[in-house]
Amino acid sequence: MPDNSTGKSFKPTKYIPVSTAAILLVGSSTLFFVFTCPWLTRAVSPLIPFYNGIVFLFVLANFSMATFMDPGIFPRADEDEDKEDDFRAPLYKNVEIKGIQVRMKWCATCHFYRPPRCSHCSVCDNCVEDFDHHCPWVNNCIGRRNYRYFFLFLLSLSAHMVGVFAFGLMYILNHLERLGALHTTVTLVVMCVAGLFFIPVVGLTGFHMVLVARGRTTNEQVTGKFRGGVNPFTRGCCGNIEYVLCSPLAPRYIVEPNRLHPVNVKPPFLRPDLPTRQISVKVNDNGIHANIPRNKSKVNLDSLEDKCLDSQPPLPPKADLNRYTELKSQLTSSEESTLSTKPLHPSTPAMYKYRPTFGANPKVLYQNPGEKVILQESCQSSPILEENGRGHDYRSEPNLDFPESKGSSIHRAFTSSPLQLDSFAINSRSLSLKHAHRRGGDKTPVHTIRSEGNASSPYKSVFAPTSLSNRNGSLSYDSLLNPSISPSSAECLAHPGVPMVGYHSPYLTAKMCHIQGGEIQHQAPSSYSPILSSRHSPHPRDPSPVRYDNLSKTIMASIQERKEMEEKEKLLHSHPHTRGLAADVYATNSGVYEASGSYGLKQGAVFPDEPRIPPKLSYGSRDNLLGGPSVFNTRNLHSRTPMNSLASSAGLGRAPRTSTTSLHTDVTNNNVQSHQALQSRPGEGAFRSPVHQTPSSPLVLPRSPSYNIQTPLSFMNALDMTDSPPLGGPREEVQLKAGHSKLNGQPGGLPRAECRLGSTSSSQGNPVSPNRNANVKKVSGVGGTTYEISV
Amino acid sequence: MGRGWVRCRWGWMTDHIQKFHNLQELRRSASLATKVFIQRDYSDGTVCQFQTKFPAELDSRIERQLFEDTVKTLNGFYAEAEKIGGQSYLEGCLACTTAYIIFLCMETRYEKVLKKISRYIQEQNEKIYAPRGLLITDPIERGMRVIEISIFEDRGSSGSTSSSSSTSSSSGR
Repeated sequence: MPDNSTGKSFKPTKYIPVSTAAILLVGSSTLFFVFTCPWLTRAVSPLIPFYNGIVFLFVLANFSMATFMDPGIFPRADEDEDKEDDFRAPLYKNVEIKGIQVRMKWCATCHFYRPPRCSHCSVCDNCVEDFDHHCPWVNNCIGRRNYRYFFLFLLSLSAHMVGVFAFGLMYILNHLERLGALHTTVTLVVMCVAGLFFIPVVGLTGFHMVLVARGRTTNEQVTGKFRGGVNPFTRGCCGNIEYVLCSPLAPRYIVEPNRLHPVNVKPPFLRPDLPTRQISVKVNDNGIHANIPRNKSKVNLDSLEDKCLDSQPPLPPKADLNRYTELKSQLTSSEESTLSTKPLHPSTPAMYKYRPTFGANPKVLYQNPGEKVILQESCQSSPILEENGRGHDYRSEPNLDFPESKGSSIHRAFTSSPLQLDSFAINSRSLSLKHAHRRGGDKTPVHTIRSEGNASSPYKSVFAPTSLSNRNGSLSYDSLLNPSISPSSAECLAHPGVPMVGYHSPYLTAKMCHIQGGEIQHQAPSSYSPILSSRHSPHPRDPSPVRYDNLSKTIMASIQERKEMEEKEKLLHSHPHTRGLAADVYATNSGVYEASGSYGLKQGAVFPDEPRIPPKLSYGSRDNLLGGPSVFNTRNLHSRTPMNSLASSAGLGRAPRTSTTSLHTDVTNNNVQSHQALQSRPGEGAFRSPVHQTPSSPLVLPRSPSYNIQTPLSFMNALDMTDSPPLGGPREEVQLKAGHSKLNGQPGGLPRAECRLGSTSSSQGNPVSPNRNANVKKVSGVGGTTYEISV
Repeated sequence: MGRGWVRCRWGWMTDHIQKFHNLQELRRSASLATKVFIQRDYSDGTVCQFQTKFPAELDSRIERQLFEDTVKTLNGFYAEAEKIGGQSYLEGCLACTTAYIIFLCMETRYEKVLKKISRYIQEQNEKIYAPRGLLITDPIERGMRVIEISIFEDRGSSGSTSSSSSTSSSSGR
């Protein structure tokens, strides 16, 4: 009968609990009304059936709403929302909620970072907002939208059962002499049914009343997220009750958008006036661009903090020349705005380099190497750093091939930012050059570049620290003299189809120069193209426009970690004996936040979204999952993760996009994984010495009462990355216990603690990545909640 | 015969010119360059708020103030929609008493605000964002996780001109 040809096969078994519940409910109540109520109406009062009728109707209504209402399912994210490869992006992202660090996990099925309190239901294969649990009795997830109806269903069902039992008892007591009669028998049967289900239903009702008062979901309660910690989502007892009962009905996300009418986006596009005050720059030009109005080149650094780009210079008349994706020019001038400028990261403190305009007056301003341009969107430096990282990530993928430079560039945010600026500048120049080239007839920019190059060469030494001159040099010489250098490069993001002609962005050049001190120009031709052109880069990835803006500290940390990792990786490849170091590096990367007793951010914490990890690096990436060349690395990671934190999975990449992952990611089991860890540990041998494991146990245990009990790295199947061998101990016991208890779908009959242990064991922490080879074992928790454990 | 021939030629020319203009129009169309995603601001819990931080990619496309105004207005709408107060309480009671049948007839407050938001976004797109080559997608389509802003680039008149000459129709031949 089940049709297994499609992915979503019709499984009749999943309808058994809900059918049973419905039949019992409706059947028993009908029998009560038919057989018991007439006498009660006559003997006691007509209000009895009226009251029972109202309550029964209420029960039915809430039951229907809980069953059929969308719990708050998130639609799958579009492809372009996640441009980063899954196996390079971190598994977790930190976000701060009311001062508490909360971890958002990447959902491999739905392709987004799950919002706080969201969880993926493996039964429904959906991410559900404010996920409570999946209730088999209503065959639906309980989430934000239908939690109130579920709660009211429980309350009303309890009241209804109490009423039915009480009035049935009254009937029986008055008909003791006729126990064999039909009515009496039926009433007795109804009473038995009511009495049988009374304990589990009332127990569940009480459990949820406690949850409501505390402002927790079932998922959070059974996974122990707030045990000993602080719940950032609570609004106080009264506020929580009010929220559950009185909040407006949340909207459906899976809905057909009713488009009023599509808005046409047609060029020409307006451009904003570029700000004049973003940077404090003492521009020191090389004398080429006499035509550039200098009045706008001086900007007050001091005024930076106060100003947002409120007042901007008037749009230059050459705005129509902008045809390409633009680098934001730091200095505003009329010529600048005519440039095809890429939006530079505004918060990038940088040695500002003015981009040449190839419109009417292609000029290049060179900044005094001593000058420092600091662009701040806010007064905080951490967003700057964060944005630096994102700027890197977003713009193209420079970090793919030059991780060290990226790391270093981010690490020294202020000093390295000129590279970013420069890259954008160069990109704009390249684009302008392209533009000029394509126009075919405008030789002026080329000549100008040449002249600039010539003029800039004497400045090379001066600008060497900032590589400005190098850039210029490459701009003037390399691009022009080696037109074939980067034929594949320079598909700027805006114009995928436009070939770069004879010009390669010295972005890398500048960066490399900055880092290596100077023989960049030779490297640039070969190395540039992967940088600039995402399409032609070795990484077959589109640059990601996705930006996660809220994780400054973690980005900083993660970038450091990545840098270290890459260095370690080099060491690893060159010196096999430095594994320990590598392990250290990876361990730091994997860290997350289990500050003991709170949601603290661990040292070496997560790098929230550092996608630019070469596939070889093992952040628990998909490569690791496949046990590829990074196996070694992951082992190291694994061996050290217990030392570092429970959230070892944090540093690891997201699970691959497979549907099976969802089954595992949602509720996997530390227990099981620690099982594997324990079992495989002897096999690991070389890399995971017990020495690593044992010290971690004391470290781990105190951290358990944190927001997320960290699961072992579940995506290292063979390797068992368990960051929680210490947790494996108690969890094993619990696991065994859970195994013994019969929990499948039985709502009652089990002590709550046992259920809780069972479900705790089964759902501890975050299910990290899927265990591909794992079997799935279903463990039921309280009220028939089912958790899948990867065995 | 001669006049007919001239008319045919004239028709051919006008058609050609028309197609040329159409293609010019096509060539001036915008192409989607990239997308910026404004993430949710969870600093205050799970209430629906979006970050007002100005993304770098829009820096040269739109004034900061306009963008922030848009996001702040949206945040205000969402806050109004999720406000727990008199109206939501009444709605809940009404729904309970009618066994939730009222949901079939009436629009909830949240849905009303969502429609308002949708209209607002449409208006913002028409007035402010589309002229700048941007397009805001209603966050409800993304599960209210992100505001998606599509950045368009002008492809310019860089297309081949051969296509214009290849199509020509003669009328009345």
